[in-house]
Amino acid sequence: MAPERGFQGETLLDVRDLKVHFPTPDGVVKAVDGLSFTVHRGETFGIVGESGSGKSVTNLTALGLVNRKAAQIEGEVLFKGRDLLKLTPGELRHVRGKELAMIFQDPFASLHPMYRVGDQLIEAVKVHSNVSKKQAEERVLELLGAVGIPRPRERFRDYPHQFSGGMRQRAMIAMALTHNPDILIADEPTTALDVTVQAQILELIDHVKREFDIGVILITHDLGVIADVSQTVMVMYAGRAMELAPKDELFRKPLHPYTWGLLDSMPRIAQKGTRLLPIEGAPPSLINVPPGCAFHPRCPHRFQPCDRERPAFADRGGGHPEACHLTIEDKRRLWAERDARRLGVAV
Amino acid sequence: MTEIVEPSGAARAGRRSGEEPLVSVRNLTKYFPITRGIIFQREIGRVHAVEDVSFDIFRGETLGLVGESGSGKSTTARLITKLIESTSGTVSFDGQEITKHSRRQMRPIRREMQMIFQDPYSSLNPRQTIGQIVGAPYVIQKTERNVKRRVQELMDRVGLNPEHYNRYSHEFSGGQRQRIGIARALALNPQLIVCDEPVSALDVSIQAQILNLLRSLQDDFNLTYLFISHDLGVVRYVSDRIAVMYLGRIVEIGSASDLYDNPRQPYTAALLSAVPKGYGENGAGARERVVLKGDVPSPVDPPPGCVFHPRCPQARLVSGREDEVPEKCRTEMPPLGEVDSGRFAACWYPVQPGQPLDLAAKA
Repeated sequence: MAPERGFQGETLLDVRDLKVHFPTPDGVVKAVDGLSFTVHRGETFGIVGESGSGKSVTNLTALGLVNRKAAQIEGEVLFKGRDLLKLTPGELRHVRGKELAMIFQDPFASLHPMYRVGDQLIEAVKVHSNVSKKQAEERVLELLGAVGIPRPRERFRDYPHQFSGGMRQRAMIAMALTHNPDILIADEPTTALDVTVQAQILELIDHVKREFDIGVILITHDLGVIADVSQTVMVMYAGRAMELAPKDELFRKPLHPYTWGLLDSMPRIAQKGTRLLPIEGAPPSLINVPPGCAFHPRCPHRFQPCDRERPAFADRGGGHPEACHLTIEDKRRLWAERDARRLGVAV
Repeated sequence: MTEIVEPSGAARAGRRSGEEPLVSVRNLTKYFPITRGIIFQREIGRVHAVEDVSFDIFRGETLGLVGESGSGKSTTARLITKLIESTSGTVSFDGQEITKHSRRQMRPIRREMQMIFQDPYSSLNPRQTIGQIVGAPYVIQKTERNVKRRVQELMDRVGLNPEHYNRYSHEFSGGQRQRIGIARALALNPQLIVCDEPVSALDVSIQAQILNLLRSLQDDFNLTYLFISHDLGVVRYVSDRIAVMYLGRIVEIGSASDLYDNPRQPYTAALLSAVPKGYGENGAGARERVVLKGDVPSPVDPPPGCVFHPRCPQARLVSGREDEVPEKCRTEMPPLGEVDSGRFAACWYPVQPGQPLDLAAKA
């Protein structure tokens, strides 16, 4: 299912046909509905989608942060060969924060406001390794330096409110790196930050990936961020993968109408005179996901089987897997037409 | 405070002379006091939210205002619409100075200037129906007899189903709520709409719908927009002219394409280069990213001299050393001077077209 393309690094995470359904009084919320992908060492794997597309739930499930009693979880999440979904909470605790680390969108909410930043980082060190406070402090200072916090010895004693948003996110990255994890999951790490700070943090994540030789899963709604830092991109919609491709292929030869819609909805700074071609309508409720292809009610190219048959997520000859019934010839032609329309050229 | 040599010159950036602006802002300044004590409040400091800002907005154009959080964009918008009082400086609307106007005097002017806000969740009263929300301006201003018919026309124009007149805002999605906010702003047929981050809370596919709607409304109703956003792609898409703010000041202003193609103020250059490039650029025009060091300084205690000098790559390029900036940058705030016809930048050593700034950042 998921492609094995070019990546030399060892397979770290292998998600197979993951389903996460939440029963609610109004019906079953299908947050993730049959998702497969792999992440390798040395790879930045970007997951892009709009709010409610299941990006975050996928990763929270992998980390065991979704309440198993409240959700129906199916499929496998193999991390270095072990199925994370089968581990007990105790076993999971040894993996999470140690081998699998995560940073969140809001660095304001992820640090406790009443403890010193340094102490919170020391705590993170001591959770997974049996070291003295002195040793832990040394490790923290080393990490703070590694993530580019100036004068770590002074800043170590600061409270979170004395840190700016960018510095807090740096501190969170330091915390995530404490135990040399194999995978860093970054869930919208720069959404709350200004562009100039965003550029710093993205650069840092890339640097950390190389330095620590890890795999990174980057979740974002911003195609620009994805284009900048990831090697592989998965586009999600209504809990499903629509398209999964190496970055250059996704941006230059996208095959799925939803990807086209996203690309044509995004105003870019370097292109003038282009028109935005929005996607009509709004994303569906995950309780009532449309039958067939989830995207068909908003798709301008829908045809016969789209409203009845769910398209398989497979390579239809375009070089990478996608979930759309159109033939590869149709896709190439339609994308070329959109290209022309966006630039205001008559076809 | 430095004196702007020709405020009207800078304000007019990129426009023909002789044209009468709809909004004219001169030396606008707003300080928020920081006080200590409960009963006897002493002022212990000031937030320099907006400092000596001058610009014009012409009829039918969109002026984009960009900057990072805390740069004073929203404060500027609130000063222009007189939702807060300025510390000094003037705002003229349609030839009339409104800075000293009382609430009563403002009422007829409020018909002409409306706002659209960022958060479509908190800007609509959850206990009112759409009809009440969009119709409220008519009730307040007493300008319309057949409110319901008029509101339904507006709903239709902004892409809402007029039959939803009696629904509450929680029944709508984010994009639809933003359309409600737009209908409310349009109700009194204003001349100016101040859009404060109108698409920042929306998903990309919905964002494009709203941007296209705002454009078509501008054509139909001959609207003038002041469009505030931190998203440089969005601002370029909608704006005719753009002003860049940093720490309460306008550091560069000019026509949208000029400014993006050839930023002259080092902050503008760094800001543009920091935007993720996305796809579709074939090398040409793609800049090397300039990663600025450090954070934006506190507006409570802005740096002396040029507000940007502590982070400025250009100043370091000029001095030739990483730890040194030219004395002028440290001591004197540069005025917003004309660097090209119609282009104004506040910099002692403006970036030359084609000059790479990334060398400085790496020095």
